[in-house]
Amino acid sequence: MTHTSRIRTRPAARQTSFTDKPMKILRGALLAGALLLPTTSCKDFLDVNTNPNAPQTVTANLYLPPMLHWLAMSPQWDGRFVGLYTQQWWHVGTGIPATTWGRMGYDPGSDNGAQQWRDVYWSWGQNLVDMINKAEAEKRWDVAGVGYLLKGYGWLVLTDLHGEIIVKEAIDQSRFAFDYDTQEYAYGEVLRLFDVAIADLQKTGDAVDQAYLAKGDKMYNGDRTKWLKLAYGMKALALNHFSNKSTYKPADVIAAVDQSFASNADDALLQFPSLQPNDDRNFYGPTRGNMPSYRQAAFAVQLMNGTQTNGTVDPRMSRMMAASPDGQYRGLDVNVLGFGALSTAQQPMNFWGYVTTPPVGSPTRYIFDDKTRWPIVTYAELQFVKAEAAFRAGDKATALAAYKNGIAAHMDFVNARNQDNGQTATQISAAEKAAFLADPNIVPTSAGALTLSQIMVQKYIALWAWGHNELWMDMRRFHYTDLDPATGKQIYPGFSIPTTLYAANAGKPVYRIRPRYNSEYVWNIPALTTIGGMAEDYHTKQTWIINP
Amino acid sequence: MVLMGILAVSSQALAQLKTVTGKVTSEVGAPMAGAQVIVKGTRFGALTNNDGNYSVRAEPGQVLQFRFIGNAPEERTVGAEDVINVQLKRVATGLDAVVVSALGETNVKRALGTAQQSIQGVDIAQTNRENFINALSGRVAGVEVVSSSGTPGSSTSITIRGISSISSSNQPLMIIDGLPLDNKTLNTGVLASDAPNSSIAFSNRFLDFTNRASDLNPEDIESLVVLKGPEASALYGIDAANGAIVITTKRGKPGTGGFEYSNSFRLDKTGAHPSLQRQYGPTTPGTSIGSFSYFGAPYAAGTTFYDNVDGFFRTALTQKHNLSFSGAAPDNRINYRISVSADKQEGVIPNSNYGRINLTGASQAVVNSWLKADLSMTYSYSNNDQVFKGDGGPLLGLLLWPQTDNAKDWLTPAGTRRRVTLLGQGSEVDNPYFNVAKNVINAKTNRIMTNIGFTIAPWQWGNLKTNIGVDGYTNQNLIMRHPESYYGYSLGGALDIADNITRNISTQTLLNINSRQIWKGLSLSGLVGNSVSDARDLTDAVKGQNFLDPNFISINNTDLATRYARSTLSQRRLVSVFGSATFDYNKYLYVTLTGRNDWTSTIPQERNSFFYPSINTSFIFTDAFPSLTRFLTSGKLRAGYAEVGKDARPYAYRPSLESKTTSYGGYGYGFTGPNLGLKPEFKISRELGTELSFLDDRLGVDFTVYHSETKDQIVNDIRGSYATGYILFNLNGAVTRNKGYELTLRGTPWMKNGVTWDVVANYNQSSGRTIALPNSLPESYISDTWLYGNVRNGTMPGLSTMSLTGFFYLKNNKGDLLINPTNGLPLKSSTFIDRGYDRQPKYTVGVTNSFRYKKASLNFLLDFRRGGDVFNATDHLLTVRGLAERTADREVPRVIPGVLRDGLENTANPTRNNIVVIPAQQTAYYTGMSEELFIEKNINWVRLKDITFRYQLPPTWLFARDASVFVTGTDLWIKTNYTGMDPIVNGNTAAVGGSGGTGIDYGNFPVPKGLSFGLKVGF
Repeated sequence: MTHTSRIRTRPAARQTSFTDKPMKILRGALLAGALLLPTTSCKDFLDVNTNPNAPQTVTANLYLPPMLHWLAMSPQWDGRFVGLYTQQWWHVGTGIPATTWGRMGYDPGSDNGAQQWRDVYWSWGQNLVDMINKAEAEKRWDVAGVGYLLKGYGWLVLTDLHGEIIVKEAIDQSRFAFDYDTQEYAYGEVLRLFDVAIADLQKTGDAVDQAYLAKGDKMYNGDRTKWLKLAYGMKALALNHFSNKSTYKPADVIAAVDQSFASNADDALLQFPSLQPNDDRNFYGPTRGNMPSYRQAAFAVQLMNGTQTNGTVDPRMSRMMAASPDGQYRGLDVNVLGFGALSTAQQPMNFWGYVTTPPVGSPTRYIFDDKTRWPIVTYAELQFVKAEAAFRAGDKATALAAYKNGIAAHMDFVNARNQDNGQTATQISAAEKAAFLADPNIVPTSAGALTLSQIMVQKYIALWAWGHNELWMDMRRFHYTDLDPATGKQIYPGFSIPTTLYAANAGKPVYRIRPRYNSEYVWNIPALTTIGGMAEDYHTKQTWIINP
Repeated sequence: MVLMGILAVSSQALAQLKTVTGKVTSEVGAPMAGAQVIVKGTRFGALTNNDGNYSVRAEPGQVLQFRFIGNAPEERTVGAEDVINVQLKRVATGLDAVVVSALGETNVKRALGTAQQSIQGVDIAQTNRENFINALSGRVAGVEVVSSSGTPGSSTSITIRGISSISSSNQPLMIIDGLPLDNKTLNTGVLASDAPNSSIAFSNRFLDFTNRASDLNPEDIESLVVLKGPEASALYGIDAANGAIVITTKRGKPGTGGFEYSNSFRLDKTGAHPSLQRQYGPTTPGTSIGSFSYFGAPYAAGTTFYDNVDGFFRTALTQKHNLSFSGAAPDNRINYRISVSADKQEGVIPNSNYGRINLTGASQAVVNSWLKADLSMTYSYSNNDQVFKGDGGPLLGLLLWPQTDNAKDWLTPAGTRRRVTLLGQGSEVDNPYFNVAKNVINAKTNRIMTNIGFTIAPWQWGNLKTNIGVDGYTNQNLIMRHPESYYGYSLGGALDIADNITRNISTQTLLNINSRQIWKGLSLSGLVGNSVSDARDLTDAVKGQNFLDPNFISINNTDLATRYARSTLSQRRLVSVFGSATFDYNKYLYVTLTGRNDWTSTIPQERNSFFYPSINTSFIFTDAFPSLTRFLTSGKLRAGYAEVGKDARPYAYRPSLESKTTSYGGYGYGFTGPNLGLKPEFKISRELGTELSFLDDRLGVDFTVYHSETKDQIVNDIRGSYATGYILFNLNGAVTRNKGYELTLRGTPWMKNGVTWDVVANYNQSSGRTIALPNSLPESYISDTWLYGNVRNGTMPGLSTMSLTGFFYLKNNKGDLLINPTNGLPLKSSTFIDRGYDRQPKYTVGVTNSFRYKKASLNFLLDFRRGGDVFNATDHLLTVRGLAERTADREVPRVIPGVLRDGLENTANPTRNNIVVIPAQQTAYYTGMSEELFIEKNINWVRLKDITFRYQLPPTWLFARDASVFVTGTDLWIKTNYTGMDPIVNGNTAAVGGSGGTGIDYGNFPVPKGLSFGLKVGF
């Protein structure tokens, strides 16, 4: 009853709002009555609607941990399906997703393939706006720079996946219909935001404070200079996507790569701490159990087992992929359901290296551990970007050097990942690494012999199982089966579009994922209709970036 | 308190008083105990004792009113005499019957311009239901009662006049002795397992909690009044927008104090279960079968089958004991009642139990000539063990378990869960015996309700009544998913502890102004009042996983790293002032105006004050035109118009950040976005009714037609484009419309030779429709109801508020099924669509018959329902698994009638489907069946809800002054076209808002048949 002592009388000025007379009289009578009675209303007494369970605002750095978490994890969700499109792996079930995504289709009425849609708009969305606004108000340029970088990268992955997206009207709670922007506009915004991020991350002084940023940043522990390198790296990725356009400037790509990561030590890696039973563990790890039915696809295995390399077996294969119980490395045929004709002993084990899901805490392999340090952008990846840009610019020597750097760095990366949490795979020895890098089937002896196909294949291997967004972007830039003009062979040797495509595709391969069902197909249909998104084959429509 | 100030000015000289005594008798001359004798214009008086005698102090010239519920009041002026004897006339249907009206005042029926219906506590108690709400079904026109399942302690929802709110609660306000009674059903949303984004949330699907009104002991209820429309409840404010149930508890009756003891013993049994095919064995047979799918080879001849279902249930014994002691001081200045009761209920499912202890004390005292005090306190303790329901629950385990295996054999020799399939431990549904023995759902509740009231009447013109009460309870919940179980395996076992601490403080003050003549034949009475309530609801929850010892139940037994704690506090304050004025013209035309202004904490401050009026009128046309009494005994017309506002749930308009459980914690916004423009919603109702009585009150008719519209309705958790930056919003803008008819017939068909036969029939027809949704959004649904396949309680503009949407079959423009040309099976939509499914019944009827002959009485309630769809998800599951009997003809080739979707489907000549399907070879015939085929249309039933035979023993028996024995049957008989077990079902719990999971039957246990007997003695 302590609150009664705080009760005040309502101010008379506010007792006005009724127009008709009887009500006025009645209300007057009521108020007169109220004065006689023990209590009257008051502002203070009713002021209990501030949610006591959670704050309405926090310091800028506290918005960051969930956003970084989803930066790492969100592509994993969608990657299950992109991995089927790009034949990184196959699903051994006989229904969804093998018969939908596995055939370059989609699940109607499902949010599958649109986790990044959720996280860019919601997990980042208003949180990112608030973080940037607070950081700018407090002159925390490092935090603001990280914010702008995430904002730009969010639009980049989203437009790469979905094509047309909502940018201009996004994060506005006053509207309920949102028009789509073109991919050209989205890319313009991405590059603008990356430049803002770079400008902010270059600043020192004011309230720039490594310790403050480190409280929310467990990726670089608040190190502004590493974030700056990441910003250049992300910019390089975006600029390189213009490769089929007349506006493509390989020199800008190379310049951006050169200002980005200098070695694997700069890699953007976020470790899953695995303190919670579920939420902070690797989505591909055994505890979360999302991958028990996925197995490596034949195409991916054949890039490493010598099939496409004149017999040279990649030492990374046995450290990244899973053997069958008979000790052989096989990939599944995407044109048959399940394991096909493989006997039990021939069926590849799961990515954790077991026949069935291992108990919690069992040692696993490569990036499939609960506590893996999960890559977002890596030095190796950027070196392949540089190699491609230099190759296209005609600077084959630079291309070859970057290509070699990329392979070597990724071999180190594989070793490092297999040590994140005591994985079972052995380390690639220095001798194995040297032999592989000296093998003319992999690294040509002269720069002139380097092919675009080799660059893209090695990049594919370096991105296998994690770099889904970039990997799929690459394959779409080459329309999956484009030929290398220099050799007349496929850029991606051995890749073939599934013989049976999803019925709605009408024979066309997939080029985009439809916008999130429960966001757009239910609540934003008019705008979606304008861009043709209601068509059953919308996912086969080529995106703007991949064509001249 | 300000009260004291008022007391100070009340020193009015009072004239000399004298004591008047007398006896009140019934129309047959029997003494009437408990009749009210009131000095008119005051609230003072007395009650008659067991011999019908009373004694009051009054001054000459004052008028004594004699009232007894169900009888016409009588008035006598105090003169020179000291003894006044009165005989009251029973008028069960008459306009002069005394009833409890809004705000707990008693009034004669003729003055009421609104629809209300009352039930005597004894009628509720005699049904022997632990949860008194279950006794209301069929007894009041317009009331729908849905129990979530037949498990002891399961929640029951009650709605009056249909579903008008799409996402908020549609349940009425409960008022006990003038102050609100919390009737919450715990929402699983406050559990640590249900933290936002959790992948192991219960979502109000797999378990149930008791609705808290069942903490009340039915034996403590004196009477209960259902105020149906917002007209009647305009005075109770925004929480009564869905009607109000006003409960009056028992008080001591004067005379010599006495003990009363009653008991009952009940046996419950259930037999109902779906029948399963015994022709085809598991898809992958062997010692360990592949899964619980039965599309394999036929069973070999001579295969041994076990009837796993029958042996599982037990015959459950329930006992109740009530002991009360009540009485009043000889001068009637103090009365008292103390009662103790203990219930111990067993469920028919092993390990489901409900126990309750109630201690109640109530006392009233006349302090002096102008002050009267009333105090009541109730303590209740309940202890409830439930079992899981729905997905993975024991019923599904029972049905899916191989019939060739003895399910009773549920432990391995090592004492762990015995399994029979090759499925993973977390994929094989639990053996039902294991499920109920090893998983635990327990709730313990300690509750204290106090209510202190003062009535001050120093003036002739009126009185002031003030009440303050605290309703507080601690509800401790423990939910364990055993480490070896289907639910718990992948978690290493999971334990949820959630302590809910609810504390509601309410005060209400009324200044009653007695009727006074203001013009010839025209008098005015009224009241002004104020109420303040402060509701606070805190849940402290913790979850732990990875049990160290698999069988030790404690949070301390979980892996430290997995423990997660969460606190949820919800607070809401409400301040109201209100008034009512009644004009009475010659006692045959009454017009009542009310107005109320509320200030709520849950609406943005600039709009948190809102006013709403009501007007109703009652016209006794048989008194106005006495010549009409040739045709009928009495007749009344009433009409009402009312508005009532309604606020939002706490914290609805401003988004808040959540501490995240993703890597490295931090904060991020929850799903729900801001809506700073949130405003209260308004319900506008119109009601027209008539009450007629014929044949000297032996036949009565009460007919009401109503129409209500809720505007600016707040829809909680409605989705929008994620481009807003959020996923859900709480928005104004829905419009729903409800209309219906209610008809109550009361009659005494027979009253001769000592035999009396009374009938009460309640007919109810109501329909609710969604007219609009906020921002032209196409559909609104409660995600908790999306509990099986792709069917949910979605509603769209133009549909019923109880519709179901789903992935239903596609059809061409002529209505033919579209068939997939590649496999001959029908195509389903990939979005949620409407196919006209509606869970709302066309009408319901409840008929109570009472027979009395000398010392024997027989009373029974028949409940009828016509129409309304029920989704039999259990049957769908059994079909998908090849267990339903309909799958036995799987070898028979068939062609599904329809047209191929080959591009010609909407032309003049579509291609008829001619693809032959043999389900045994193409199991997708069953496994891909739309849930649509299992939404059973137009479900009707007749059920014998309860029947009681009571016999009054001779007074000398056991030296008791009053003794009787009884036999009561509950839910003994049902006839329905529903193919499942019980169409009264809720796939969720009463905690879910909107139309909830009513009529979604998935793995739910039906209400068992019960037979109880007992005795009642008074000394």
